[in-house]
Amino acid sequence: MWRREGATIAEIIEALSRIRADFARAEAGDDEHGRPRNCVMTLVAVTSGQGDERRAQRCSRIIGAHHPAQSIVIREIPGTRGHKFDASIVTDVLRPTTSSAVECEIVTLHVPGSAADHIGSLVDPLVVSGVPTYVWWMGTPPFGRQELHDALRIGDALVFDSARFEEPYHAFRGLSKLVTIAHRRLGLGDLHWSRMRPLREVIAQFFMPYDRRSFLSGITEVGIDYTGNGRGNRIAASYTVGWMASALGWELQRATAGGGGIVAAHYRAGSRPVEVHFRSVPKDHLASGELSAVRIAGSTHGTTFRLTVARDPERTRRPNPDSAYRSLLSSGGEDDAGIELTKRQAERHRGVLHDSLDSLHHTASGEAPGESRPRQPVVITHERRRPDTEQVLLTLIEIGDSPPLRHVQQVEPEDEAALLLDLLATGTHDAVFNRSLLAAFELMRKM
Amino acid sequence: MKVEEAPNPLAEGLHDYRVADPAVMVIFGATGDLSGRKLLPALYNLARQRSLPAGFAVVGAAMDDMSDDAFRKRASEKIHQFSRTQPIDNRVLDAFLSSLSYVKVDFSRADDFKALAQRLQELDNTRHIGGNRIFYCATPPQTYQLIAQQLQAASLQTGGGFHRIVVEKPFGTDLRSAMELTQTLHNVFSEDSVYRIDHYLGKETVQNILAFRFANSIFEPVWNTNLIDSVQITVAEEIGIEQRGAYYDRAGALRDIVQNHAMQLVALTAMEPPLAFDANAVRDEKVKVLRAIRPLQGEEIARSTVRGQYTKGWVLGEQVAGYREETNVAPDSQTETFAALRLFIDNWRWAGVPFYVRAGKRMPKRVTEIRVQFKRPPHLTFGREAMQEVDPNAITLRIQPEEGISLKFGAKVPSAGLRIRSVTMDFQYMTAFLVDAPEAYERLLLDCMIGDPTLFTRGDEVEAAWKLIDPFEESWRGGMPPLGTYAAGTWGPPSAAELLQADGREWHRP
Repeated sequence: MWRREGATIAEIIEALSRIRADFARAEAGDDEHGRPRNCVMTLVAVTSGQGDERRAQRCSRIIGAHHPAQSIVIREIPGTRGHKFDASIVTDVLRPTTSSAVECEIVTLHVPGSAADHIGSLVDPLVVSGVPTYVWWMGTPPFGRQELHDALRIGDALVFDSARFEEPYHAFRGLSKLVTIAHRRLGLGDLHWSRMRPLREVIAQFFMPYDRRSFLSGITEVGIDYTGNGRGNRIAASYTVGWMASALGWELQRATAGGGGIVAAHYRAGSRPVEVHFRSVPKDHLASGELSAVRIAGSTHGTTFRLTVARDPERTRRPNPDSAYRSLLSSGGEDDAGIELTKRQAERHRGVLHDSLDSLHHTASGEAPGESRPRQPVVITHERRRPDTEQVLLTLIEIGDSPPLRHVQQVEPEDEAALLLDLLATGTHDAVFNRSLLAAFELMRKM
Repeated sequence: MKVEEAPNPLAEGLHDYRVADPAVMVIFGATGDLSGRKLLPALYNLARQRSLPAGFAVVGAAMDDMSDDAFRKRASEKIHQFSRTQPIDNRVLDAFLSSLSYVKVDFSRADDFKALAQRLQELDNTRHIGGNRIFYCATPPQTYQLIAQQLQAASLQTGGGFHRIVVEKPFGTDLRSAMELTQTLHNVFSEDSVYRIDHYLGKETVQNILAFRFANSIFEPVWNTNLIDSVQITVAEEIGIEQRGAYYDRAGALRDIVQNHAMQLVALTAMEPPLAFDANAVRDEKVKVLRAIRPLQGEEIARSTVRGQYTKGWVLGEQVAGYREETNVAPDSQTETFAALRLFIDNWRWAGVPFYVRAGKRMPKRVTEIRVQFKRPPHLTFGREAMQEVDPNAITLRIQPEEGISLKFGAKVPSAGLRIRSVTMDFQYMTAFLVDAPEAYERLLLDCMIGDPTLFTRGDEVEAAWKLIDPFEESWRGGMPPLGTYAAGTWGPPSAAELLQADGREWHRP
């Protein structure tokens, strides 16, 4: 561990060199030369608060437990100026049983507000050359602003989580613009899109047997249930429909609002109409914007088919710890009784506070519900499992007159580190994501 | 466009996500060791990765009298014990177990196969399987013929959907028996429906040999007789024969390891670039290599091969018994537990380059590697003195453990003078990627379900390897060369070192 207040970048580079040399010497035996340094990537995490900073450090540690990597965690300290930083370097050395030791470095920088606008020049001297550099923007990336473009100058890809966008609709619009202007080298990765991968896999899997391929050209209805209200909460739903529409060549004709919170989109696939219905269905265990069910139906050559993929309701979820609400209610300690008390207290006040926040936001911004996401009140739930978003997908397949076939799939725990790892491992240059995003935004805009 | 050719655009971009059609896998010998240790845990892990499609079902078939529930209970226990991923995810396991059922099958009873046919028909109707069937013979090779005949008699290999049979090595014990096995299987299944599984080919690092050679432009130009001095292939195990004495004493290292694993490594190292990474293109090139290996006869076999048997010694700090003291091994056994060969591949690329192959039990450690040794520089620019600590360049492809690739080259030692020393540039498979490698059986089972036989051995490959090995076996049975001995925990008999010393070379110490 190395720490210094008021450090310069040159001092940080010198400290890193010293740490690496010490590691190489320590690992080399008496009569053998040192092993070359191994590094998979540089991850630059841009954070805006202590909570994000800790999350970034935690994810870096988890990834580094298996893969030698360098992480640079940057937190802006608002209201300060200058060119020196409070910096720390933490290294974890791991010794796998069947491989030589690997080293993971986490460099944390607290930067003055002025320097935070120039992340590219700040970080450039620190990144490991020859391996990819990923910029993980943990809040809402400042789309369209120089600050983001400067950061992307040093990155091979921008990683973000559209489920955490504070103004989902507007941010999504900024994101879709970035896709159209981004150069080929820049990859984009959305943890929210990655989170929905199991759903896409299940849908694709249904159409995989050769004798079901013809169903693809027989789809006439798609139904999507999501939580929350308003178009800002329809990112996941729009992603799903955008993905299908762009893959299957559907053309969006129009969108219409119906009764009971149902919004319909009308597509045309050649001469065949495809109706898509978005339905807001409250689910206590899901966060706003999450999908609870997808239904696809149609018929081909006289055979009807229906695929239903539903999220299993048995799920616990760790609430967003950054919520403003948390500051109003302490957790009452980490023991069971304290958490239970806090939970009851929170539940009592939750509705009132949420309504107030929504109303204030609506008054202040004039935007429809869901357009922007007011900070949500959170119930401190007792987490009996790992803090993840573990889920079960229940699939029902109905073909012709045959009895429905039920299939249950458990989705691996998808905490942030696992999602990030999955995204970085599979690559951020994803043409399917890009085209789905554009189709999703076109849909959101019409709705 | 035919239905079979219609693409599924929704599958595009789902990286590394390969989906099989719904099918039923019948495991013959489902209560045996292979099924419990490898197959059921691999299928569970495929379910965990969501690679098993809705409708997929497993039918266990064996001699034991057992109910569906008892089979599921047994499967659950084995999965808990042997799964690569732990802890077990109970919801995945429950869903997987619900797709399991059991039918008692005596391989000699036609009625049992009729009962099996009825069960498969029921599953077809209830699980939208479309008649797709995979018959996995997790049974001794002697049963393959009987099983194939009974499947045919019960018409289980006909009808809609695909019908595949999977058989485990050994694929015969010599050329004749291998050809008989192929003929037996071909009486019922076409060659493209026969999946001969050699789990070695399912290892990521074995597949990476092809990626290393053919996805890079800098290695292929030097991968030939112009710059390569020799190739060494080592397949060493620190373990003895464990409980396999009865089998091993009939097989020996040559049949158990060299004929299949080691010859596959030779083929992958020496093959020409295939037109594409598809089953026939890859296997065509491998067969060409096996057929180009110079056959040895008579005295040449005595000069170019070494066989040895371990005696008691020390391995990994423990004293271990000699081979003849192992259970189910004849006290005067002449079976080799170590084999070394010097082979030449008579083609344009490899003319004059010796391939040294060694495989053995009770070696100092478990290691499989391919070492490609390059020629020395034609002129010693820095003089003999400066170069005395430099070995020739070498590329080592480590298959297991510490999977990876290293390149050895000379570098100047930091000092006022000019002294060159060998250094190593390492690539470690385990830490270089952000994903974990699947277990070989997971990869191969999924390949079989998908219908991709690239990593399975084709009949002509098997026969080409036996054609090469048979003369060695014959000569060795006649005592040529004589059986050497080596203390457990050493790198084989002294004659193994002499084999290379005669050529002015020495074995690389892995």
